[in-house]
Amino acid sequence: MSVVYALATPAAKSAICIFRVSGDGCFDDIAGLFGLDGFNPRTFYLVDMKNGERLVDRVGLILFKGPNSYTGEDSFEVYAHGSLGIMSLISDTFDSHGYSEAPPGEFTKRAFLNDKISLNEAESLSDLIDSTSSDEVFLSGSSLFGDLSNRLAEYSERVNLIRIRVEGEIDFSEEGEDFMDDGLLDDLQKVKEDFESFVSLCANKRDISQKKNILLVGPTNSGKSSIFNRLVGYERAIVTDRPGTTRDMISSEAFFETSVFSISDTAGMRKTDDVVEERGIEISLNQMSEADLVLGVFENYSEDMISFLEKTCGSNKFLSVQNKIDINKADVKKYDCCVSAKSGDGFKELRQEIASFFNETGVKNEKDFMVRDRHVKIFMSVTKNLEQAIQGLNNKKTLELVAEDLKNARSDLDELIGRKFSDSLLGDIFSSFCIGK
Amino acid sequence: MYKFDVIVIGGGHAGAEAAFSIDRAGLSCALITMDESKVGQMSCNPAIGGLGKSHIVREIDAMGGLMAIATDMSGIQYRTLNTRKGDAVQALRVQCDRDLYKKAVQKILNKTNIKIISEEVVDLIISKNSVLGVITKDKRYLSKKTILTTGTFLNGKMYTGRDVISGGRTGEQPSIPLSKKLYGLKLPMGRLKTGTPARIKLSSIDTSKMEDQPGDTPTPWMSISNPPKKHQTQLSCFITRTNKKTHEIIKNNIHLSAMYSGEIQGIGPRYCPSIEDKIFKFQNKDSHQIFIEPEGVKKDLVYPNGISTSLPKETQAEFIRSIKGMENSEITEYGYAVEYDFVDPRSLEKTLQLNSLSNLYLAGQINGTTGYEEAAAQGLIAGINASNNIKKQEEFILDRSESYIGVMLDDLTSHGITEPYRMFTSRAEHRLLLSQNNAQQRLLMKARKIGMVDKETETKFLENERKYKDFVEQTLKKTKTNYFINKKNTKTKLNENKSLYKLLSRNDVNEKKLFKTNQTNEKHYQRAITEIKYSGYIAKQLREINKTKKQNNKKIPKNINYKEISGLSNEVREKLINNKPKTIGGANQIEGITPAALNLILIHIKKGELLKENA
Repeated sequence: MSVVYALATPAAKSAICIFRVSGDGCFDDIAGLFGLDGFNPRTFYLVDMKNGERLVDRVGLILFKGPNSYTGEDSFEVYAHGSLGIMSLISDTFDSHGYSEAPPGEFTKRAFLNDKISLNEAESLSDLIDSTSSDEVFLSGSSLFGDLSNRLAEYSERVNLIRIRVEGEIDFSEEGEDFMDDGLLDDLQKVKEDFESFVSLCANKRDISQKKNILLVGPTNSGKSSIFNRLVGYERAIVTDRPGTTRDMISSEAFFETSVFSISDTAGMRKTDDVVEERGIEISLNQMSEADLVLGVFENYSEDMISFLEKTCGSNKFLSVQNKIDINKADVKKYDCCVSAKSGDGFKELRQEIASFFNETGVKNEKDFMVRDRHVKIFMSVTKNLEQAIQGLNNKKTLELVAEDLKNARSDLDELIGRKFSDSLLGDIFSSFCIGK
Repeated sequence: MYKFDVIVIGGGHAGAEAAFSIDRAGLSCALITMDESKVGQMSCNPAIGGLGKSHIVREIDAMGGLMAIATDMSGIQYRTLNTRKGDAVQALRVQCDRDLYKKAVQKILNKTNIKIISEEVVDLIISKNSVLGVITKDKRYLSKKTILTTGTFLNGKMYTGRDVISGGRTGEQPSIPLSKKLYGLKLPMGRLKTGTPARIKLSSIDTSKMEDQPGDTPTPWMSISNPPKKHQTQLSCFITRTNKKTHEIIKNNIHLSAMYSGEIQGIGPRYCPSIEDKIFKFQNKDSHQIFIEPEGVKKDLVYPNGISTSLPKETQAEFIRSIKGMENSEITEYGYAVEYDFVDPRSLEKTLQLNSLSNLYLAGQINGTTGYEEAAAQGLIAGINASNNIKKQEEFILDRSESYIGVMLDDLTSHGITEPYRMFTSRAEHRLLLSQNNAQQRLLMKARKIGMVDKETETKFLENERKYKDFVEQTLKKTKTNYFINKKNTKTKLNENKSLYKLLSRNDVNEKKLFKTNQTNEKHYQRAITEIKYSGYIAKQLREINKTKKQNNKKIPKNINYKEISGLSNEVREKLINNKPKTIGGANQIEGITPAALNLILIHIKKGELLKENA
């Protein structure tokens, strides 16, 4: 297939960035690009990458000879410095060599086409790349390596074993054999129960991928933006000593204690004639109801405001934080947490406090498999078919309909494993694909 | 020199049905058989129909065939199987008087213009890969099409203990010269075996010690289209069982069985094992059922179904006499195993014409099937297609979703066989659509279009359909009630008036008490109940069928380069390049093409489309 390239790391400033290139003939240009005359596959080279005569960057390079590569084709990876300027230069260089930028999912699609991965593994990989917490990475891992497929295949087989007995009773009822002893209904019930508990071990990607939203609120000039910047890890919010500096809400992602959080800074709360800021306050009141956790930031203790916030937030999703303990004395009795955004004191505790809050309420690490909406939909259909079959047997419904329920349950399971040929199945998968870069 | 449109070789169930369909198509036909008195012979047990098979018989009937009518002319016990299950899997089995069945077939054929010729065909006239006729011992016959229905006669060998006789049926010669000719054609072949039990005098067994199994009352008909006016005298079948002593005798003599001495190479049907197999493969069972089938109205003979064997004669007699009610059995003919060659049906088109040789069709047991019904259906399809081809009409191919015959032909020609092929309802993925009671609705008009069904039968059918529709619309949908009797025989009150039609979709309704039927609407009512009960499932199946059709109709571009599709195995790639399928459905038909390979082709096509869009 033609040569494609893609940035495999996020298009954001970072220490390094990685480009992947794959396709027939992608080794043709390595002399010109990297000044390499020959190479050993799977060896790390430190080389100068050039666009014509112009030096792009000093980069790390590994080449993979097909079929021993991710896509199964000849391919290589470039490790460059992570500035936006260099990323753009590298993209230009590949463009000028006639490589095209890979559409989403292209690398995995090629891996699939070249028999490097099965359909289910391809999907699972998409989850792995997208995953935002280490829990999720772990879950993706186990379905990626065929565990999910194996489990589903096991249920498919168990359903089939029962189906065989029902079909036997239909097609060979004259043979004097007892296909459907009393055990059949029990076996079927057991399969359904086991399947349901298996399903309960599956976390829907949509649920688990929800970022945890944290909202910072409090009186003006209490230092919310400073705390925001501390938590996010860099200066995202403008910080001044003038009250009312933050007028619109700003959000950013922060990663600590193995999870991704979305943290939002809001305008301070006070009476104001400034229309723009009033809107900001209104927004922050609305946001409080939607946030998973609200941090009230105070310099001076205000019982009124704390109880107002606790009431507004509803349930137990409010933590009070005392800021500026470098100036004032920390009051651990009145606040849940005491910090200094200026010195960084107390932030370790604050992060732990936040993480444990989510650990108690959020998705815990008791799920074994991560699944997508498509899986969930089919799981429901399998359960429904099994339930229908059980009811059919209980109500002495005619047996060919029970057989039909079992067949449908089985073909649902097989569809999940990708054993059934279905155009729309493929379409669904490739349209929701967002990986391979 | 004699000239016919079509020559049928063989007068078994496939041959008879093939010749009859050619005659209905208005073409000239010769049926050449070694012994015309054997046309329509039942060579195994004297029964037609049964699970999966009555469906086929009714389909043949709906398309103007003779099997159901011959069955009704000779039926001596009618029994509906699976009555506790639903309509789609119920099946009518008819015990026939062996002689009367044969006579019925001959009577039907004799009323036609078919020329029945008693000669042995020794050679085919072949020129430029095309069959132009046949040669018998002293004559040559020319034909536009030839249909070969030679059953188990290809290199047939019969085994009774250590005795081996060449032949396909007791007392009949195998057709050796014709077999040699076929071997010369280098068709792909395999070897199969089957077996038959001893035949016993009815007067020598004590049926009072056995379980009596009478037929249905009232006695139904196999033929929907054109049953005779009167049934034959109805008889009972009987059930007895083997016992420990029987098993001991067989175990002690197993080394004498042809099947266990390693002499037989052919593969036997797993669903119809010999008594030796039953005892050795199912050691935990100390008894097996035997079904005593009467051979005829005035015949002192029974067929003990369930104890087919290739043990020596003395052992057969000994174990049979150990069975309850059979202590004094007088055996008239001993059981034997028969081994024969078949042609791999993957070398056939779905019209049953050979791929490699034009104008030659194969039908029946020669294609690896077993059963009168399966054979007859193939004869019908081969006959129709031979006629259609002569008349330059379209190929007649039935879909899997519309008939068991379609399922069978698709299975045979796409996947071949690993044991003698017989029909089961579970082979049909759209089983709920294919009841033995709706064969006419599925196939009659299709057959009418090609002249297989006469005007009178069509009119009768359409009239009945109209009456059914009226019954549903005028009676079931318009009669309303505010209560019904439930299955526990108590009254269930409803909040509002509901039509009978609506109520029938409930699980708890006692259908018999909901509506009192009379003779004219009884069948309509039963049909309506079934259609309503199945409706949800059937809607799902129809959706699936449409989806598959859509997929199968997806065109493969003419200029597709299979070498560009990475991931295809070399074998698959080669097959695709050689076969040049026009559609995904066509590719799916090619043997050895996996769903994964189809996916790859689909992705490749889709990619090509995407590239075009972007260009």
